[in-house]
Amino acid sequence: MPTPYASSARGLSSSDPILDRLASSDGAVKFRAIREVKNHIIGNRTKKLSYIKLGAVPAVAAALADSDPNLIVQSAAALGSFACGVDAGVRAVLDAGAFPRLIGLLSAPDEKVLDAAARSLRMIYQSKLAPKYDFFQEENMQFLLSLLKSENENLTGLGAGIVIHSCKTIGEQNILCHAGVLEKLTSLLDGSLSQRDASLESLAAIIRDNPAAVSNFVELRCGRALRSVTDLTKDKYPRTRLLACLCLISVKNSSTCYLQDIGIKTKLVYLLLELLDDSGQVGDEASFAFSSLIAEKEDLQKLAFEANAINKFNCLLQKHPIQTKRLEGVLLALADLCSKLECCRSSFLSLQVLNLVIDALTHEDASVRTAACICLRSVSRSIRNLSAGRFMNERVVFPLVQLLSDLSTSVQVAALGAISNIVVDFLPHKSTFVQCGGVKELVQLTKSMDSSLRLNAVWALRNMVFLADTICKEGVFVELTASSMASLICDPEPSVQEQALALVRNFVDGCLYSVEHAFAEDGIILDAVGRQLQKSSKIEIGIQGMYILSNIASGNEFHKDAVMQLLFPQDENGSHSFFEQFLQSPDSRLRTAAVWVVINLTFPASPGAFGRIVNLRSFGIVSRIKKMVNDSCMDVKLRARLALGQIITFGDS
Amino acid sequence: MSLFWLVIRQLAEIGAMATTKKVITREEWEKKLNDVKIRKEDMNKLVMNFLVTEGYVEAAEKFRTESGTEPDIDLATITDRMAVKKAVQNGNVEDAIEKVNDLNPEILDTNPQLFFHLQQQRLIELIRNGKVEEALEFAQEELAPRGEENQSFLEELERTVALLAFEDVSNCPVGDLLDISQRLKTASEVNAAILTSQSHEKDPKLPSLLKMLLWAQNQLDEKAAYPRINDLSTAILEDSAV
Repeated sequence: MPTPYASSARGLSSSDPILDRLASSDGAVKFRAIREVKNHIIGNRTKKLSYIKLGAVPAVAAALADSDPNLIVQSAAALGSFACGVDAGVRAVLDAGAFPRLIGLLSAPDEKVLDAAARSLRMIYQSKLAPKYDFFQEENMQFLLSLLKSENENLTGLGAGIVIHSCKTIGEQNILCHAGVLEKLTSLLDGSLSQRDASLESLAAIIRDNPAAVSNFVELRCGRALRSVTDLTKDKYPRTRLLACLCLISVKNSSTCYLQDIGIKTKLVYLLLELLDDSGQVGDEASFAFSSLIAEKEDLQKLAFEANAINKFNCLLQKHPIQTKRLEGVLLALADLCSKLECCRSSFLSLQVLNLVIDALTHEDASVRTAACICLRSVSRSIRNLSAGRFMNERVVFPLVQLLSDLSTSVQVAALGAISNIVVDFLPHKSTFVQCGGVKELVQLTKSMDSSLRLNAVWALRNMVFLADTICKEGVFVELTASSMASLICDPEPSVQEQALALVRNFVDGCLYSVEHAFAEDGIILDAVGRQLQKSSKIEIGIQGMYILSNIASGNEFHKDAVMQLLFPQDENGSHSFFEQFLQSPDSRLRTAAVWVVINLTFPASPGAFGRIVNLRSFGIVSRIKKMVNDSCMDVKLRARLALGQIITFGDS
Repeated sequence: MSLFWLVIRQLAEIGAMATTKKVITREEWEKKLNDVKIRKEDMNKLVMNFLVTEGYVEAAEKFRTESGTEPDIDLATITDRMAVKKAVQNGNVEDAIEKVNDLNPEILDTNPQLFFHLQQQRLIELIRNGKVEEALEFAQEELAPRGEENQSFLEELERTVALLAFEDVSNCPVGDLLDISQRLKTASEVNAAILTSQSHEKDPKLPSLLKMLLWAQNQLDEKAAYPRINDLSTAILEDSAV
C-alpha cells in the first residue's frame, strides 16, 4: 500500500534521519532509505538539489561497494537520477568517487547490476562535466569497442553515449574511424529504437566537419550505411528523423561530392520545417539543425524561402508561451535565412517579424538577446531598407543601445554587430542613435578589456562615420578624442588596429575640414598611423593606412606635405622603404591603395606638385610607377597610368 | 503488413481496369482472396504482438507454448508493466511510480510530462479521498515547482487545484478530472512510456491493420461493387447492393 504523502523536500535538514538511515549498518534499513531517496528524486529537480545539498550523494554512493546486488542496483539507479539533467548532481556523483566504481560494475556477473551501472554512466555521460574519454589509449578503445559489440542495449547505448560526449576533435574522429567504430555504429542502425537514435547521434559526432570521416562513412558497406540513414529520415519517430537529418547535413556540408542534388536538399528543408512542429525537444533542436543546413548557402536559403520558411518561423514566434531554447533557435534560423537574400529580408519585414525580434531584445535570457541581435544584424544588411530608415528608429535603436551595457559579453558583441549595420545609414536618421546615448556607449566599449568588444565597437563607429556629415563626425570625434583613437591604432590586437585605421580613413574622407581630424592634438593620430605602417605587419593594415594617406593627400598643400613627410622622413635612411614595398606587394588591393596616394600627391592643379614629383623621383617612386603601367591587375594598371600621366605633365626627365 | 499491400495492389489493378463501376461476384472475390498467401508465422506474430502490447501475459505465455511464436519482449516485463497500469487504475499512484522506477529509473526522469501527469493523478486521488490539507501541501511542494518549469503544467495544475474550491465536485466544471476515465488516461500514458522504453511499439499492429482494411474498402467502393466486410468482429463477406 502506498504510504500517505509526507513532506520531505522542505523538511530536509542536516538533522534529517535519512542520512543516518543511509549510513545504517542494517542492510534492510539502508536498502529502504536508498530506494526512498531514489523515488523522491526521480523526475524531481527540486528534490535532487535538496538531497545534494544535504550531502546524501556520498552516502548513496558508498553502497556501490556493498555485496548485496539489490542494494547496488538501488544505489546505482539513485546516482544515475542525481546525474540526470542536474549538473550539480553530476558533480556530486563524481566527487563521491562513484564513477570508477560504476565502470567496475560493468563487468559484474549480475545482469541487473550491470544494467543499472550502465544506465547511470550513460546519464553521467550526457553531461559536459563527465570526464573526457581518452580514445587514444589503446585499452580505452578496446573497451569502447567491446561496449558497442555487446548484446546488451544499455552497454551499446553507453558506448554511443561516450562517443557523443567525448568525440570533439578531428584527431578523435579519425582514430574512431580507424578503429572501426563507424562499422559498429552502423550495425546498430538496424537495432531497437534507442540503439538507432544513439547510433545516429554518435555517427553525426564522428563525421561532423570531417571530410575524411564523411567519405569513410559514405563508402561503408558500398553506400548501404548512407542509404539506411537516408531511409531513417522517413521514420515514424520525430527524434529519429531529426538525427538522421543531422547526419545527412554533416555529409552534405563537409564535401561537394555527396548529396548535392536538389532533390535531397529540398527534402531536408521540408523535413526540418515539419519537425519544427514537434512541441518538445525535437522541435527545439530542429531550428538549430535548419541553421546548419542553410548557413552560408545561398541555394539552400532560396529553397527554404520557396518552402515558405519565413512564414513558418513567424508562426512559431507568435505562439505563447515560447520556450527559451526554441525562441533562440528560431531567431538564429531567421538570421541565417536573411543573411544573403533580399527576398527573405523583404518577406521578414512585410510579415512584421521585426516587432517580435525587437521584443526578444529585452528577453530575460542572454542567449535569446544575443540571437535577436544576430537576427537584426542579418536583416539590416538590406541596403534598400537601411536607406528607407527602417531600422533607425527608437523602437529598434533604444533597446540595442541598452544592450551595449549588458552583463553578458556575447550579448554586447552581438548588439555591436547589429548596430554596425544599422548606423550605415543616410543622413536624417543618425540623430536617433546619438540621442539614445549610443555614441557614448560605443566609445566606452572601445576602452573595454575584452578585445572582441573593442573590435566590434570600433567597427560600429567606423560604419557610423562612413559618409557621415560633419556634425555627426564632430560628435563622434569629440566623444572619442584623438588620443584614444591613436591608442586604438596601436592596440595589441591586429584586428582592432585594422578597424581603428579604417575608422580614421572614414574620418578623414571628404571635405578639407574632415582631413583636419588627422592633425588634432599635434598630429598624434598621424604619428600612430606612421608607426603602424613602418611595422606593416598585416596586408589589411597597409591597405587602410594607404587610404588614410590618400584621403589626407587630397587636402591642401600642408596636408600633402605632411603625407610626404610621413612617407619619406628626412632624418632616417631606408625607413621609407615600406612605401616602395607596398607598391610591389603581391596583393593588388595594396598596390592600388598605394598608387592612389601618388595620384593625390601629384595632382597637377596644386601648387606644390612639381616639388613633390621631384622628391618622388629621387626616392625611386616614379620609376616604380612606370613599371606598373602594365600591371596584371586592371585596377592597378589604370591608376598607375593616371599617376604617370599627371607626373608627365611636368616633363619627363 | 504484407497482406495489406497485396490487397492494395489488387485494388489498384481493379481500379486501373475499370472506368465504370465494376461488379465483382462473390466467386471471383473469394478466388482472389484465396490467391493471397499469408504465412502462418506472420499471423501468429500479429497475434503475439497484440497480446504482448495489450499486456495479456497469460494468454501470451499459452500462445507461445501452443504456436511456438517467440514474443519480441521478455514476458516477465509484461507482468511488471501490467502491475503499474493496474496500480494507476486503482488509484495507487505512488505505488505505480515506485514500480516504474524499479523497472527503469530513466522513464520518469526523462519524461517530465508523464511525471507531471502521475503527480497530478496523485493529487486528484488525495482530493477524491477528502485529504484537503495533504492535497494542498502536495500541490505546493511537488507540483508547483513543475509548474514553474513549464507553463502548460501550471495551467493543468490550476485546473486540478480548482477541484478543492467546489463543495460538490461531481457537478463542477473540472469534475471530469475525478472520472475514472482520467485514471485510465494516465494509466495508458504510463503503459505507452514503458513500452517505448523497451523499444516496443506502443500500439498493437492489429487495430491499424483493420483500419487499413476499412480504408481500402472505402477506396474500392468508388470503383467496384464486391462482397464487403461490414462487421469486423465476424468478418463475414456481405454482398453489396448494386
